[in-house]
Amino acid sequence: MKETLLYIFLILFLPGSLFAQQKNVIGRDIGQLKDIKISGRLIDQITGEPLVGATVTVKEVNKTEVTNTNGNFNLVLDRAEYILEIRYVGYETVTYPFVAVGEGRISLTMIQEDFTLDDVVIFGRDPEKNIRSTDMGAITVSMNTLKELPPFLGEVDIIRSLATLPGVSQVGEASSGLNVRGGGADQNLILFAGAPIYNPSHLFGLFTAFNPDVVNDFVLYKSIIPTKYGGRGSSILDITPKSGSLDKWGGDMMVGTVSGKLSLNGPVIKDKVSAKVGFRGSYINWLLGAMNNPDLRSSNANFNDINGILYGEINENHNVTYSFYRSYDDFALASDTTISWTNLSHTVRYQGKFSERLSADVIGYYSKYDFTIFNKSGINNFDLESGITDPGLRLNFTYALGPNNRVSFGGDTKSITIRPGELIPGQSGGESTILPKKVQDEFGRESGFYLQHELEFGEKIGVSYGIRYDMYQYFGPRTVKEYAPNLPLNPGNVIGERTYASGETIQTYDGWGPRASLRYSLDSKTSIKAGYNKMYQFIHLISNTATIAPTDVWKLSDQFFKPQIVDQYSLGIYKNLKGNIFETSIEVYYKDIQNVLEYKDGARLLLQQNLETEVVPGQGQAYGVELYVKKNLGRTTGWASYTYSRSLRRVITPFEEEIINDGEWYPANFDKPHDLTLIGNYKLASNASISATFSYSTGRPVSFPEAKFDFSRNSLAFFKERNTQRIPDFHRLDLSLNFKLKGTSKFHDGDWTFAIMNVYGRKNPFSVFFADQTGSPPQSYILAILGVPFPTLSYSLKF
Amino acid sequence: MLKKLLYIILILPISCIEPYKVELPQGEQLLTVDGFITTDSGPHIIRLTRSDTYGSVFQGLIRPVSQANVVIRDSEGNVTFLEEGIERGAYQTPPDFRARVGISYTLLITLLGGKSYTSLPERVAAVPEILELSYSAVGFNTEDRLLDRSGARIFAHFNDPSDQTNFYYWRVGARNYVLVANPELYRLPGTHPTNPRGEAPKACCAICYIQEPGRFQRFAIASDEGFNGLPQRLPVAFVEDDGLKFKQAYRAEILQMSISANAHRFLRLVEQQTSLTGSVFDSPPANIRGNMISLDDPNEIVLGFFMAAGVSKKEVYIKPGKLDIRQTPKTIPDDCLTVPGATLDPPAGWNPDN
Repeated sequence: MKETLLYIFLILFLPGSLFAQQKNVIGRDIGQLKDIKISGRLIDQITGEPLVGATVTVKEVNKTEVTNTNGNFNLVLDRAEYILEIRYVGYETVTYPFVAVGEGRISLTMIQEDFTLDDVVIFGRDPEKNIRSTDMGAITVSMNTLKELPPFLGEVDIIRSLATLPGVSQVGEASSGLNVRGGGADQNLILFAGAPIYNPSHLFGLFTAFNPDVVNDFVLYKSIIPTKYGGRGSSILDITPKSGSLDKWGGDMMVGTVSGKLSLNGPVIKDKVSAKVGFRGSYINWLLGAMNNPDLRSSNANFNDINGILYGEINENHNVTYSFYRSYDDFALASDTTISWTNLSHTVRYQGKFSERLSADVIGYYSKYDFTIFNKSGINNFDLESGITDPGLRLNFTYALGPNNRVSFGGDTKSITIRPGELIPGQSGGESTILPKKVQDEFGRESGFYLQHELEFGEKIGVSYGIRYDMYQYFGPRTVKEYAPNLPLNPGNVIGERTYASGETIQTYDGWGPRASLRYSLDSKTSIKAGYNKMYQFIHLISNTATIAPTDVWKLSDQFFKPQIVDQYSLGIYKNLKGNIFETSIEVYYKDIQNVLEYKDGARLLLQQNLETEVVPGQGQAYGVELYVKKNLGRTTGWASYTYSRSLRRVITPFEEEIINDGEWYPANFDKPHDLTLIGNYKLASNASISATFSYSTGRPVSFPEAKFDFSRNSLAFFKERNTQRIPDFHRLDLSLNFKLKGTSKFHDGDWTFAIMNVYGRKNPFSVFFADQTGSPPQSYILAILGVPFPTLSYSLKF
Repeated sequence: MLKKLLYIILILPISCIEPYKVELPQGEQLLTVDGFITTDSGPHIIRLTRSDTYGSVFQGLIRPVSQANVVIRDSEGNVTFLEEGIERGAYQTPPDFRARVGISYTLLITLLGGKSYTSLPERVAAVPEILELSYSAVGFNTEDRLLDRSGARIFAHFNDPSDQTNFYYWRVGARNYVLVANPELYRLPGTHPTNPRGEAPKACCAICYIQEPGRFQRFAIASDEGFNGLPQRLPVAFVEDDGLKFKQAYRAEILQMSISANAHRFLRLVEQQTSLTGSVFDSPPANIRGNMISLDDPNEIVLGFFMAAGVSKKEVYIKPGKLDIRQTPKTIPDDCLTVPGATLDPPAGWNPDN
């Protein structure tokens, strides 16, 4: 075993030195000595798909390039002999010795380790990146890594996989959205191909609304966020779709327990234009129809998502990508009310390299989110429609001042229109007995300019610093209520209203957001990093539930809703052990959040014309320590992450009736101090592996009644303070077995995944609630979303 | 087999709700006020109780507050004293007391120990008349088709006035029905010395009248925000069919009341709490603030609400012929008078053929 490890270690990390290979001569020899431009392209040997984000290192000159979205890279070298070393997650490392004599092109292929090797490499495209880069709290996950995790309901899931990492959590088992380092679910900017997506979930969070087969990789920034991103307080999740192969047609398909998917990709014009389409849909409806339980039989749950990616190369330095995305959901649980939502985005991206030093990345997008509630109960039928449109433009330039010294700069702008809600009465027997109602549309524009400089002083010190200037405008047309001064914002205190014309500025906000991080390496395997980050957020998700719910309302900042401002300080120590087989880190952070919104007791959010009367501004603070150990290599791989963190809120206002919990700090809905995740993957044989995930976290806070009282012969609970108690702790074990059947046909190439979620059937409470229900005394109940062991089986095939 | 498999793999039945014991702090014994006065003739009842630990062994047991001095004062300076009736903690207005539209009322309480409390003034608003009450059958599926539930949903028809903001509160008043029994099917008890279970038809009585006990009370509320000025037909009550109620005629009295915005908010929170399911979309529990304050200690919490409302009453007779979903009728093989509370005399004003 030890020898095998050593052997693999040698293959991976000391390539070239042991295996002499035939030398390749690149370029036509015209006697050029310096600045020889060599471009290359890296593709998957089997599928022909470009490999994005692989590192290409020229050891001799200590130069590393990363392949772009088409698998291309560029090198400028002097005339000499070199050895290229190409590393990519889940692929065998490749070395390529060559002699550069003139300008030319290299074509390289890599083979997935998948089931060819006895060992698995997880995460990290570059084994020492965690130590060497100045990034803090940036997590890059490739889809190959994701496939090693136990699936949730038959599929690997982007959002859920992130929740296994330190500092990232979810409210409960069926909740969409992430809580990153004590931030709310609205404080994450989720970008798909550069376009913001407002509700990236299917079935209220049971699935993430992104098809993993069309995703190349995703990056989560939870600590120091590059200045090119702005607009949200806690994190940025940037998901890059995968473009199709320029070489040959192929595809992926999967059939699972509740959903299936298919994607196809290939060249439209060989070596010039490629296309990729993906479709995923559920067949829960069909299953529901077969149920005996009447509530289930009359229920409806349907979702699907469609992706299309068109990629064209103008030449080797310039390319354009068009990406289309649409997700759809409708849901009705034994009722006449159907809830439906759609995310839609179009993105056009241009990437160009003008010289060895200057490159550009331009993204134009249009994103739309629609949410509708249909009531067809026969009594006052209505449709309630709401939505967001968000078109925007981003410009990013990178200029290399030297090998380890580069500047990025650019700007972005977007205009957001929110339709908070429109009630359209339905026809109930010809007469309409309810009034149509429309909450005023909101118009805002967010713009930003930024500069970022990354440089290294020798091996020891690396610095990255930058600043972003955010501007925000809130426009008419709008009629705004005016409230009596020195009184709470209550409907009763309205003294007048003011009408703003179309395009008239109602309110502006702006601010400078400095960000910096510093890395000091103690040696090649150990470094210390420190950073500071400031973010502004001009949009708020107003919610009075613990998770993203149909009643939530997105609201732009206006004169009552000040932007959320988040300051974060972080410090970390990173150490790799045993030749990068183990990665370890400890990070601590402190966050200060201004203008978080807390709902007032009994707030009414749907169709609320004056949301300022339903919420109160509060302060937030979050702090924590995150421990992380990962084993990258070997028959057993995996990681352990443990976070101790707190996320607290405080509401102090001049008005006594608005103060929450006597103005003391109290835990936020998603405050879970202890959070532990253990993930292990063990290779049983060349065609089978088993993986396990165990997670434990402190139960989330809930309010318990202080007393019981009787009113109108109902037993009621009296709640005085918020979030003083906790629901029982959460723990769950998931197992999965991945295997291939023996045989030689195409069918046998497919991967089978058999998984059991919640192996020991723990009834993890999603909530504890108090009810006086007919037939039993007033008492407390728990709702467990996943109360039994739940098996799934799926089959996927790459062709 | 396939179906069995589906059961195993299907996603939805995996969630469950079950009772769960939590350790709750010892509850405070807070004064709770529950009652309303209306423009109808009295007596109107104000109940004073004390709160207790949630889920305590005393659950269901109301702790009445006795021997208090309870007074209603109106905005014209009139004072009405309430007297504690036979039921402890229930204070009644004189029978001739009626609240008047446009007048504000305040409830004043002095407890035996001398602590005094007041409500915020509640102004009585006019209420539109109930024009008509209609009903239709509704059914609810359950796990077992034979146990599917059903009942009658009652709708109030009225014209919402357009020149004012209205908050509505509906309660069900007295409920009576014809209890149909089959005395001719009577059999002797199994312990009868000579003729156990022998047929012994009784001559009387097949038809009785009975009043439904007013236990667990559901109510309905609405605000005219969404329908100001429009004629309305709203569901205001539901009577569950138990196989006996709808054999001949069932009479329900519906009270349509106009309440204040604050009272509506209070009831909305009550309604919200009584309809919690623990689901991911539940609103978090809200502090249900009432309109009572302590005059001695501003920090003392007083629960409940004192309401003053305009009222419009109407009765509806529910008849089996108009219900298209009904439970299998139950048979009482005995004299109907053996059922507790049953009488041979119809209740006052009984006129089902009207």
